[in-house]
Amino acid sequence: MLVMRPAQMADLSEVQRLAADSPVGVTSLPDDAGRLRDKIAASDASLAAEVSFNGEESYFFVLEDSDSGHLLGCSGIVASAGYSEPFYSFRNETFVHNSRELKIHNKIHVLSLCHDLTGNSLLTSFYVEQALVGSVWSELNSRARLLFVANHPERFADAVVVEIVGHSDDHGDSPFWDAVGRNFFDMTYAEAERLCGLKSRTFLAELMPHYPIYVPLLPDAAQEAMGQVHPRAQVTFDILMREGFETDHYIDIFDGGPTLHARTSGIRSIAQSRVVPVRLGEPTKGGRPYMVSNGLLQDFRAIVADLDWVPGKPVILSLEAAEALGVGEGASVRLVAV
Amino acid sequence: MIVRPARTADLPALIDLARTTGAGLTTLPANEERLAHRVDWAEKTFTGEAERADADYLFVLENDAGLVVGISAVAGAVGLREPWYNYRLGLTVSASQELNIHRQIPTLFLANDLTGNSELCSLFLRSDHRTGLNGRLLSKARLLFIAEFRELFGDKVIAEMRGMSDDQGRSPFWESLGRHFFKMEFSQADYLTGVGNKAFIAELMPKFPLYTCFLSEDARNIIGRVHPDTEPALTMLKGEGFSYQGYVDIFDAGPAIEAETAKIRAVRDSQALVLAIGTPGDDATTYLIHNRRREDCRITVGAARLAAGTLVVDPLTAKRLRLSVGDQVRAVPLSARG
Repeated sequence: MLVMRPAQMADLSEVQRLAADSPVGVTSLPDDAGRLRDKIAASDASLAAEVSFNGEESYFFVLEDSDSGHLLGCSGIVASAGYSEPFYSFRNETFVHNSRELKIHNKIHVLSLCHDLTGNSLLTSFYVEQALVGSVWSELNSRARLLFVANHPERFADAVVVEIVGHSDDHGDSPFWDAVGRNFFDMTYAEAERLCGLKSRTFLAELMPHYPIYVPLLPDAAQEAMGQVHPRAQVTFDILMREGFETDHYIDIFDGGPTLHARTSGIRSIAQSRVVPVRLGEPTKGGRPYMVSNGLLQDFRAIVADLDWVPGKPVILSLEAAEALGVGEGASVRLVAV
Repeated sequence: MIVRPARTADLPALIDLARTTGAGLTTLPANEERLAHRVDWAEKTFTGEAERADADYLFVLENDAGLVVGISAVAGAVGLREPWYNYRLGLTVSASQELNIHRQIPTLFLANDLTGNSELCSLFLRSDHRTGLNGRLLSKARLLFIAEFRELFGDKVIAEMRGMSDDQGRSPFWESLGRHFFKMEFSQADYLTGVGNKAFIAELMPKFPLYTCFLSEDARNIIGRVHPDTEPALTMLKGEGFSYQGYVDIFDAGPAIEAETAKIRAVRDSQALVLAIGTPGDDATTYLIHNRRREDCRITVGAARLAAGTLVVDPLTAKRLRLSVGDQVRAVPLSARG
């Protein structure tokens, strides 16, 4: 059975294997043991801490095959984007340049470097093995985080954002980077992203242009790349769009990928999930897949199970599912349809 | 040849001239009504009826047969009625010692910095008269006039030099920048500014600073460079003390050169003298000579020699100035080295 749970230090080598395979733009998953160790330690500390409002915490989960002990995916949440260093985005803006006399009415699209999304909670570090893309496990790998947020709202902000890796070609070159960032750094997109992972994005962001950029001046390829999703990131993009995230307002300052955002309370897995009491038994056949989480912190677990649940009634879990979640008869779980 | 104020009677000749200037000379549009208005203002200016903000000292170059073959002008002040725009070419540095990055990005800042200065403008000499001293007389006569009537002009004098364009009149700078915002041809924008329709500039121009890395290479290369036809004019004004301080035209990026009025050679070195008629002799110098009148201003060039506070000229030069022995003149050697 595949179980989503907080990462532990013992997972380090497995996590690094996942990180090594993740696309170059996922800078929250650097292929660097030191940084990954810090990430797991930070998550451990955050889960252990008493928290009454979102601050510097970060949470990091892994998707484990409980039979083999292998990890098949991971994902994370940063409680507050830009808590310890500025969080940069490009905001899409429109200016109207209008001349009544000449009857010219131009809508001019401008990108402005901003910190608007500072303080929002940030979904990060999403990775699933290729074989799981499109499966319910891929959903679990992303949305288990949202069930965690639903259970611990005091630990998160009122809004959640996520940066989706943008378009880059087979050689790892990003047209948006080549047209914008490269002018200010004189390094390739891959080099820049590698540096971001090793140092920090802020480190580079501080060198980015602080005056707004007039989009009509950018080459067509760069304009087309704005808001485009990297094929490998399509899975996480699709999942989150179904969750009610919105796009179009912000893009990534490096590769032009979309930055999604949503009100926390309006996210589907949060708004539509329910907390129900558990009964142990043999689930009836013909159910549908649900994501089920135990609502705990350090012992947080989430699984996918076929259930024939009727709203307002307790949920009947198999012994195996209950064991995976670490819950018994009479406990409560949070569930939402996959 | 003499330079004198333009009069209403010159109008047909001026219209003929304007038709042959082509794009790039915004202050001499081939529009009969506008030209008539302009000459009317020029007459008022020379009689002292115009405030400095509106003053338009429009001169013509007339040959000894009374034919008008060129024009030049000085505006008392720019930008006091409508905003006067230039780009200031500045620099943005993107640098990090730790990342071994040092990028210099020339950046254009929209500015009204040159507001209130006097402006040399509208220089045009018929192509079949671009010989001998005609060009220098036509251009430098203005400087001698400024020297005589210093109080009518600003502390700085500027001159906008025509920028680079190709054989079809296409400006690479316009194609890379202005076109995106104005959605019209360079020649049309140029014409509209020439006929005084300047409000549209403010309405349609990009207001934020522009990183030149977002312009085409052709456009970047010609910022601050003059059209080959304008090179001689640039060289001449540099000889008078004008220099390029980073201000360029917002349409074609031609340089706006400037000089402190008091330090212009013709202003600094010219002197008031008494006219003597005789034989300038073998050691004579070519002088630029003004009859010290405003409304009846006449300026010419001629061989002359200084002798005990008098300027000795030949009878033809005196006749061109319509002066007699003992009359006052202001004179300066036509060129720095005589």
